[in-house]
Amino acid sequence: MKQVLEGSQAVAEAVRLAGVQVVSAYPITPQTHIVEILSDYCATGKMNAKFLRVESEHSCMAALIGAQSAGVRTFTATSGQGLALMHELLHWASGARLPIVMAEVNRALAPGWNIWVDQTDTLAQRDTGWIQFYCEDSQEVIDTTLQAYKLAESVALPVMVVLDAFFLSHTYEPVDVPSQEEVDRFLPPYEARFELDTKNPCSFGPLVPPAVYMEMRHDMAAAMDTALATFPVIEDEFAALFGRRYGAVEAIACDDAEIVFVTSGTITSTARLVLENLRGRGEKLGIAKIKLFRPFPVDEVRKALKGAKKIAVIDRNFSFGASGIFAQEIRAALCNAPDHAPVFGYIAGIGGRDVTPEVLEEIYWKTKHNALPERESVWIGLQEVSHGS
Amino acid sequence: MDLELTEREFMYPGHVGCPGCGAAIAMRFVLKALGEKMMMVLPACCWSVIAGPYPSTTLKIPVIHSAFETGGAVASGVRAALDMKGDTDTTVVTWAGDGGTFDIGFQALSGAVERNEDFIYVCYDNEAYMNTGIQRSSSTPYGAWTTTTPGKDWKKMRKKNIVEALAAHRIPYAATASISHPEDLVRKVKRAQAVKGSRFLHIFASCPTGWKIPSEMAVKIARMAVQTNIFPLYEVEEGLHYTINYKPKRFPVREYFKIQGRFQHLKDEDLDVIQKMVDEDWELLLRKAGEHA
Amino acid sequence: MAEKAQARAESESPIHIMPRSTLSTEANKTGSWRYLRPRYEEKTAPCSAACPAGEDIGKIEMLTAQGLFKEAWETILRENPLPGICGRVCFHPCEGACNRGEFDDPIAIHSLERFLADTAERYDLKPLLERLPGRPEKVAIAGAGPAGLAAAWFLTQLGYACDVFEASPEAGGILRWGIPLYRLPLAALQREIAQVEAQGVRIHTGRPVTPDFLNDLETSYHAVYLACGHGRTTALRVSGEESDGVGDGLKFLEKVRNGETPDVKGVSAVIGGGNTAVDVARSIVRLGGEALILYRRRRQDMPAFGDEVQMALDEGVKLQELVAPERIGKDGSRTLVTLRHMRIAGEEGGRGRIEPDGDRTSRIVVDRLFKATGAEAAEGWHNPPASKEALALSHCVLSLRNGRPALAWGGDLANGIKSVAHAIASGKQAAIALDTLFREGPDSILPRLESCTVGNGPSLSMEIHMGGERRLRNRHVVAYGEINTDYFRYAPRMTQPRLVRQERARSFAEIDLRVSGNIAMREAERCFNCGLCNQCDNCHLFCPDMSVIHDQSAQGRHIDYDYCKGCGLCVVECPRNAMTLEEEIR
Repeated sequence: MKQVLEGSQAVAEAVRLAGVQVVSAYPITPQTHIVEILSDYCATGKMNAKFLRVESEHSCMAALIGAQSAGVRTFTATSGQGLALMHELLHWASGARLPIVMAEVNRALAPGWNIWVDQTDTLAQRDTGWIQFYCEDSQEVIDTTLQAYKLAESVALPVMVVLDAFFLSHTYEPVDVPSQEEVDRFLPPYEARFELDTKNPCSFGPLVPPAVYMEMRHDMAAAMDTALATFPVIEDEFAALFGRRYGAVEAIACDDAEIVFVTSGTITSTARLVLENLRGRGEKLGIAKIKLFRPFPVDEVRKALKGAKKIAVIDRNFSFGASGIFAQEIRAALCNAPDHAPVFGYIAGIGGRDVTPEVLEEIYWKTKHNALPERESVWIGLQEVSHGS
Repeated sequence: MDLELTEREFMYPGHVGCPGCGAAIAMRFVLKALGEKMMMVLPACCWSVIAGPYPSTTLKIPVIHSAFETGGAVASGVRAALDMKGDTDTTVVTWAGDGGTFDIGFQALSGAVERNEDFIYVCYDNEAYMNTGIQRSSSTPYGAWTTTTPGKDWKKMRKKNIVEALAAHRIPYAATASISHPEDLVRKVKRAQAVKGSRFLHIFASCPTGWKIPSEMAVKIARMAVQTNIFPLYEVEEGLHYTINYKPKRFPVREYFKIQGRFQHLKDEDLDVIQKMVDEDWELLLRKAGEHA
Repeated sequence: MAEKAQARAESESPIHIMPRSTLSTEANKTGSWRYLRPRYEEKTAPCSAACPAGEDIGKIEMLTAQGLFKEAWETILRENPLPGICGRVCFHPCEGACNRGEFDDPIAIHSLERFLADTAERYDLKPLLERLPGRPEKVAIAGAGPAGLAAAWFLTQLGYACDVFEASPEAGGILRWGIPLYRLPLAALQREIAQVEAQGVRIHTGRPVTPDFLNDLETSYHAVYLACGHGRTTALRVSGEESDGVGDGLKFLEKVRNGETPDVKGVSAVIGGGNTAVDVARSIVRLGGEALILYRRRRQDMPAFGDEVQMALDEGVKLQELVAPERIGKDGSRTLVTLRHMRIAGEEGGRGRIEPDGDRTSRIVVDRLFKATGAEAAEGWHNPPASKEALALSHCVLSLRNGRPALAWGGDLANGIKSVAHAIASGKQAAIALDTLFREGPDSILPRLESCTVGNGPSLSMEIHMGGERRLRNRHVVAYGEINTDYFRYAPRMTQPRLVRQERARSFAEIDLRVSGNIAMREAERCFNCGLCNQCDNCHLFCPDMSVIHDQSAQGRHIDYDYCKGCGLCVVECPRNAMTLEEEIR
């Protein structure tokens, strides 16, 4: 059924439909709408779930680790500082092989205080063993959240569904909300593959000596690889039921493109507009939208970028002392591929600044007019600032 | 002593607790008092190690090891899950050391009991970070040497009064107990199990290694702490109603301090200061219990 | 269901290894850490070492506290056939040695012994005691006093046939004739004599042992035990002691016990400071006379039981200290006694050393005077030989003559301290010595006696000799400091109920009254049971390593050395020092 929802609502609808049993969250802007709606669902019985109103994001993830270990489906949402506070327990959740699903509304990190979109918070958690999806619109949010549970439970790793602050979390769009019956066909009720059980007592997360720790980490690495292989299968199942498919990487007009933008999140939608515009003017632009960031879909990326003469990665994030994080990943993915195109790194929209079609066109022309990148990262739209320090 | 405890053991031998480990004794009593319908959350503490390295466990109950500061939170989650599964008769217990309770885990504990989560939080108190090598915690008593309060920098701050902090949350049940008084301890565990909501047990569990006492003195020293009023045995209901369970003869604290290596540097005048503190705390407790000295 | 599981399995990628423990830690044998080793080792209670009869007092009180009165009584009987008598007249050195005395007050061991005997009497209990198979040797015993009765009892337990020959018309010796009824009622005595007889001992009364008779005995018995006691009062060795106003204290007591009522009108002086002197004085008071004890030392130096002295004084007996009779004469029909005054000149052996107080003397006139300064053998040949061939033991003298039956002297004839308990000790020592002689020969006697001592001796245990569990105990006598007093609460000692003073002084009715089972149990609960396990289970309870395992053994538990780390907690938390911590030897 089509409804006009903001991104936050889309998340909440997916969580409701997924039959989540324990929700825990701590309020942080701009994720708040998600938990407000879920609180309401729990209070009114729209959802048969318990809502744990914990005193911090750290406790939030700890509580979900406890709940998921005790054998129920769980959910939380957070943003920026909250995710940073959770950091320790992100490792814990994945190491414990718990299929927790979290919605993360990208928010810039302080100081100074900034509640607007910036992907550095989630990308800084790329090594925690969580699967990460970056969504472009509310439909993708609701669909990805449902798929996230299926994937997480299949490979026994947690999943982060990432959406841009405000541009997605607070933007209303028409969304096709599937019925409960349809969702149930896709995602059956949760059955834990291991859980705390008084009839089968065992000890979760004990001391692990060097003799076996490495094997455990290797098994997680293998599960990530499996996730890469499993995601298309889950997409097939989803597409068969709902008729929608996204791909770990969506290659848009890449076949004959000379310059390919690498995008993620809502910037992709703007890029689609720019692509249409530039193509109308004879410019051969393509887009590779990265949806799945962890595990990183190296083969699909290589495939999408195969014919490009130049690659322009647009990063709304930054790894200080290095470059935009997507750019790093693209370069790493391509370095062992034969004859790959040069990678131009662009930093745009940091801290919630608009990435308008004009910004993207500027990136296009810069890329077109330079044979090779001037620098590893080119910051777009920097202004002369003088506020009398 | 007849504690009316099950003959059944809920611990396997072969654990790696130090000889005379007070925390191991405390665990054994608590498990026997609670029985098999329980699950344990074990944030980082000595017991994270004692419980056994992969693939072994010394505890015959379901255990979830957790991050240092998460005792209150993980238990909240476990409880929520059990409730959702319709399992209301399994007792959820957090088993944490003093570091994980007084210090790093205090926020999660405070949050959990403010929400009146239905679980028992047990703090076995050995008065420092023993597992990591005897570093001071906010539970380390005034006067103690630790590896982070060495030499003349021995700890000059009071031990945090954790039960009072919990009582201030008006939780249904909070109590102190000691491994030296098993009857009192077991009664309190069983009482706690029968209460709904957040329950807190503060168990004095000596550490021969960290306190620098012979292992065979572990229980004796804990008993002396009670006998000297250094660690009074009492319980608080709803944060309001205090009951003092044992009124010792108030032996002077001196003997207790003299036999522990961690206090060897203290001079007589330091002990006088400590005696005053202990007396002061006792008077305060008496007043709370409505029993004027 | 299976379909569903399969569907799940297909949609899930397997986890090969994750941080989850499912095995026990039992594979980790922590016993290898141990450098100290705890073990169960019962030790010796000071009371039992102080008891001349070597009674297992800690165990007796343990059983009493549990209400197992018969078992407690039988435990006494293993070491002492006369609890009803000792519970009344023993000087109970056990209480002086009691560790509880340092905590609050000693256990009322004496009263509890009497209680157990009273209980046996009340319910007419018959003891079930171990008895060794019959032996061919026969033993003759001269004298049916406490030493003779004890020797007969123990020899019977060891399988020997015994005949006891008693000069008097009734058995009991000093117990029958020398102790007033208010301390030892006849029924109590008779009951325990009957009990000895019930074991198969034959007592032949009215059969004094003369030298000829002794020769006869030697032809039909393999050994003779002489225990005819000290029946004659020692002479004062002062002039006039043979005059008609001077009586023999022991004879006087015998008359009274015989039912006579000697004339005691007026004032009677009693010379001496022992129990006989006090008994004579108190008997005089009961017969309506006035009694004055004359003693050459001070009250605190009197060998008589302090309690008895106090009661005597309460009853109206007068005591004059530091005087010794120097001359006895007549003052008309009355008796004039010249007293030499003494003074204390230091201490010796725990009591005052005396010397004449210059030339001070005084004279008193009394209606009669009783000598009660001590006793000796009635016949010179009763005394043991001092020759080198005789083996002088702590409580008897043994003569082992080649080819002839062994001859043993015991009881007061051989004891340094003349008490009922020592008499019993003598009988027991003789029984063990003769048993060893018959079975293993003379050379084994001393080592055997050494192996049967309670603590450091000289008290002996028949249970040890007979191979009972007591032999496993360490001889170490538990000191107060070795008791974990944290497990004991202060509790007042029971008070022995007694007849009131006015009632006492009028009759020979027994002074000490019976106590109830409740009082006895409460009193016995006070006992530390030093060195003995009473199954309190602290060792099991406090073990941090689950290494004290309950089992079906008599001990009820054992230590699992596979896991015991040797922390020693069990040993320290044992309230009674029934465990030992020692170096681990690998």
